[in-house]
Amino acid sequence: MASPIPLRGRLRRYGTSYAMLLPFLALFAGFLLWPLANSLYLSFTTFDGINPAVFTGVDNFVQLASDTRFRHALGNTALYVVGSVVLGTLLSLGLALAFNGTSWPHRIMRTLFFLPSVTSSIALMLMWKWVLYPSDVGLANTIVDWFGGSAVAWLATPGLTIPILVLMSVWGGMGYGMVLYVAGLGSIPQEYYEAAKIDGASTWRQFRHITLPLLRPVTTYVVVTGLIGAFQVFEAVYIVFSQGANTIGGVLDSGLMIVPYLYDQGFTHFRLGYASAIAWVLFLVIFVLSLINLRVGRAMKEL
Amino acid sequence: MRRMMAACSTVLLAALSAACATSGQTQTQQANQNANAPVTLSFWSTGGDDETATFQKAADLYKQKHPNVTVKVQTLSWSDAYAKLLAAATSRNGPDIISGGMTWTIQFGARGAMVDLRKHGLESLKAQALPAQWESAISPDGSVYGVPLDMSTLALYYRTDLLEQAKVEPPKTWEELTATIGKLKAAGVKKPYGQDWGNLDWIGYFNYLYQAGGSFYTADCKPSLNTPQAEQALKYWVDLYREHGAPTATVEGADALDTGTAMVVAGNWIAKGIDINKPKLKGKWAMTTIPAGPAGPTAFIGGRAIGVTSFSKYVQTSTDFVKFMYSDEAITAIADEAKKRNISYIPPRPDKIVNGSVFTPEQAQVFEASIKTGKAAPGCPGWDESAPDVTKQLQSAILGKADIKTALAEAAKVMERNAG
Repeated sequence: MASPIPLRGRLRRYGTSYAMLLPFLALFAGFLLWPLANSLYLSFTTFDGINPAVFTGVDNFVQLASDTRFRHALGNTALYVVGSVVLGTLLSLGLALAFNGTSWPHRIMRTLFFLPSVTSSIALMLMWKWVLYPSDVGLANTIVDWFGGSAVAWLATPGLTIPILVLMSVWGGMGYGMVLYVAGLGSIPQEYYEAAKIDGASTWRQFRHITLPLLRPVTTYVVVTGLIGAFQVFEAVYIVFSQGANTIGGVLDSGLMIVPYLYDQGFTHFRLGYASAIAWVLFLVIFVLSLINLRVGRAMKEL
Repeated sequence: MRRMMAACSTVLLAALSAACATSGQTQTQQANQNANAPVTLSFWSTGGDDETATFQKAADLYKQKHPNVTVKVQTLSWSDAYAKLLAAATSRNGPDIISGGMTWTIQFGARGAMVDLRKHGLESLKAQALPAQWESAISPDGSVYGVPLDMSTLALYYRTDLLEQAKVEPPKTWEELTATIGKLKAAGVKKPYGQDWGNLDWIGYFNYLYQAGGSFYTADCKPSLNTPQAEQALKYWVDLYREHGAPTATVEGADALDTGTAMVVAGNWIAKGIDINKPKLKGKWAMTTIPAGPAGPTAFIGGRAIGVTSFSKYVQTSTDFVKFMYSDEAITAIADEAKKRNISYIPPRPDKIVNGSVFTPEQAQVFEASIKTGKAAPGCPGWDESAPDVTKQLQSAILGKADIKTALAEAAKVMERNAG
């Protein structure tokens, strides 16, 4: 067994590399680690953004446990995450299977579906706001009108809020997932399919036993990034559904999600300590769910 | 190698010490309060660029009188103004003067970020301001962290052609309003009535509550939603939605008129733009005060407050500028520029609503009447925290998720809890 290189030797050998990394490390520590540590500290205080923070132990977390609006936001977010991740992943895969060729029509379709992913999310949300605008000016109600229906209050019907948010998320995100799946499909050796065909496997069996298992790493990536993105939904709620400072979560808080609630508490109610506690709870939720997802992915691989 | 590491460390140290030096400099920089030394004040104005330009005119006028003082007015959009002001207050580095929602200066003042203008003689402006609006700008402990900068109120905008078609006059009372909606429907008007400002929100209920003789709080700031007046008001408002078909979805007032709504309750700020943005409505619309309830015609009065930050280096000069904004000449300069830019501006002085107005005399009279009998948002402790929950309870009643009594009782409970 080779003996480890002593510190002085390692420094001599890698010193230049470490020195090159220093500027990045300084920025990383200054603009990420330090704020993160600060936010963790603030979550145990009653910091209002202006006056010095007062340490209050776990009070913020205890209060969170009995905060009905937070629980409501958590419930809404869970529904939204399930809807957008499941539908988004399925549709991404479907699109990838449909348009994974190299012909021009396939390339054009992939470009079209990918476009929302490279467009500013603010612009997209403003577009959705116009689509769902309640009067005849809104595109959705214009279409409803063509079919003889009466105008729908898209943004003021609590039962429609989560489905609309899921629709917006899936529409905007499935192109990105599709590109990842197309890359994944391209990396599956064609020999597997040829061997399966020789053995008389149907298209469905080929998909079930070759495509899906070999796409598992891509699926894990799409699901984990989808989960993280969905838990952090903000613009869609803030731009499309909030109607002024008092209704950040839309009518009856039907669109209240964790991050908009965090923003509301921190930046309109001066409760930055409480908002930090929400942020850390959100981090824990995402961390645990991602961990479960990775473990499940690994366990399935071993099956 | 060593030389390279030393160079890197030097660069990093230099960067760090520069950062520290800059921050220290900001904190220790002392104000030069010499009367004739050049002073530049930064005024962060919440609103649009056109509004900023109108206030800049007043600032330019101030400079003519005080050549050493330059006031730079910058726009903060409504959507992110609050967060930007909070960031400035946190770093104690930012504007000398701010304007924003009526309760903003109270909120920032309570945390030590605003100057109590009483200490600089600005309580004298009380005599010039509208009493109801002045009260809403005052903190519960009596501190004056901001004074009204302008006013906003509601009016009933209506399509003259559609009302003529139904042979009805614009309604003046609650009873007339529901009767008019019925007649319009009978005459084939599909959208007889809508609400823009305050739709599904506590501001919408505010009008009916005060018109029924109720209020959110008693004079000594006790929550007062458990009253027959509050019930009567909510029942009437809920019926407008559930019985008379007022839409729950909010359509901007001018759009609503343009797409065939016969009557719409909207803010004063749409009045100037209707003829320009919706040319086919020219000559087909008019406005009046919102219908009165059993206790009178009270309408909500909003507006912006202006105040001086506690971290300003030029507190005295800034307060003097705030005082100047109430002068005849400043109001005239702002109104003239607002006219040029076709934007609504109602000065904070009631005596200037008609004379210093940007509206036609008829429109100005409607707003004047509305403001004279109007009331502003409650300035009681805990109201800002309660408002979202009160709104939610009102929405529950409108959407049939709770009955009127339960919704009001729940709203009152929240207000009691937050009142401390």
